[in-house]
Amino acid sequence: MTTGRLGGDLDRTAPPPAGGTPWWRAALTPAVPLARVAVLRVVVYLFVVADIFLFVNDVVPHAEGDADLYRPLLLRRLLDLPTPSPGYARALQLAIVAGCLVAATGRLPRVSGLVVAVAFLDWVSIGMSYSKVDHDHLALVVATWVLPTVGTARLRDRTRSEAAGWALLAIQLAVVATYFLSAVGKIRFGGWRWANGSIFAWAMTRRGTPLGRALLEPPWILHAGQWGVLLVEALSPLLVALRGRWRYLLVAVFAGFHAATFATLTIHFLPLVVCLLSFLPLERLAPAPDGPGQPAAVVGQRTSDS
Amino acid sequence: MSTSDVRRLSGAGLAWRAATLAAGLALALYGSLVGTDDLWPFAPMTQFAFYVSPDGQIRAAYVEALTTEGRRVRVPLNARGVGIGRAEIEGQLSSIVRDPSRLQAIADAQRRLHPDRPQYRRLILHERVTILRDGRAVLVRDEVKASWDVRP
Repeated sequence: MTTGRLGGDLDRTAPPPAGGTPWWRAALTPAVPLARVAVLRVVVYLFVVADIFLFVNDVVPHAEGDADLYRPLLLRRLLDLPTPSPGYARALQLAIVAGCLVAATGRLPRVSGLVVAVAFLDWVSIGMSYSKVDHDHLALVVATWVLPTVGTARLRDRTRSEAAGWALLAIQLAVVATYFLSAVGKIRFGGWRWANGSIFAWAMTRRGTPLGRALLEPPWILHAGQWGVLLVEALSPLLVALRGRWRYLLVAVFAGFHAATFATLTIHFLPLVVCLLSFLPLERLAPAPDGPGQPAAVVGQRTSDS
Repeated sequence: MSTSDVRRLSGAGLAWRAATLAAGLALALYGSLVGTDDLWPFAPMTQFAFYVSPDGQIRAAYVEALTTEGRRVRVPLNARGVGIGRAEIEGQLSSIVRDPSRLQAIADAQRRLHPDRPQYRRLILHERVTILRDGRAVLVRDEVKASWDVRP
């Protein structure tokens, strides 16, 4: 498919402009293989189904409970979204599951993706409208909104696409924003002395696993950990800036950070971890491209990282 | 595959994508610098974003119950337990201390959610206070904040 109906823009296969691609264009819409988006779609849409049953799973119980506790977020007030009734919540659940199952197969990517984007935003914003807001869903919500804009992307299609590159960049920036703005939040609300406080001791004492509580002594371990986390979060924009193995190494650092918070505090942030995949050359997981004229060199092609 | 085999975007396609990205980043930055939870998904990232003094206290509430079977149990303050989280109890601690009858809601929730399990006859709200010196726990004490004989 070569038309981009969603934004009214026309995608076309054409040689790059004379003199090469300008830097801003390569940064904003890097050409990446469509197969990368195809693989990410499978993972994201299947994860969204798991998410509404395992993580943001209190929407139906809340809708069945006391509407007095419902404090709609600005987004819901602006869009005039209703106070959820049990029937409304069930309908959203059905729309999300049906949309995701279709979208995960790669069929009707714009229509099914848009259904998921709208219904999932509605769903998660309900979940956050009972006085407790979580911060692990920004990148996943962004992913559901930008993935449909790529249009058709098949697992075997190694054609590089600027639309695919922009969608991945948007997800990547949402991931980086989550980390970087966490560092901003720590300074905004905790002040510059945050990293020299005892916030990790507070966390481990209150909800630490046996492993987490074992780290309480001696105190310098958690003190150093606070500096480490603040530093890594502040450096997170390097995820976008770096290429190749340094980028993958940093992705592994963040995955390790999430594994550590799970092992010590049972906090997993999986909706964000899934979006870390947007930094990886996922097309290597896809079946080999078929058709004639596909040289073996495609597999080792480094341009797909740019 | 040659480098020329690239599916390119039109000028309009580039323009709306650039504008969307810029708007999204601006909103996220605004929310984090001056916004509140109300701006979700552009709310500030407030998880563990506060200062705890290394010479301060760590407080953690928990609720104990005497059951109809005469046992003393810890009330599970989570979604699968009584459906009321520890943070919710802690957020309303002072009002529960003033009016312990508010603990009745926990017993009511147990009846509604787990009618087949032992019920609560008496509820006791505690706080475990850990005293820090130089970031090290030097003393742990238990404070009883409120108690309530459950209405049948």
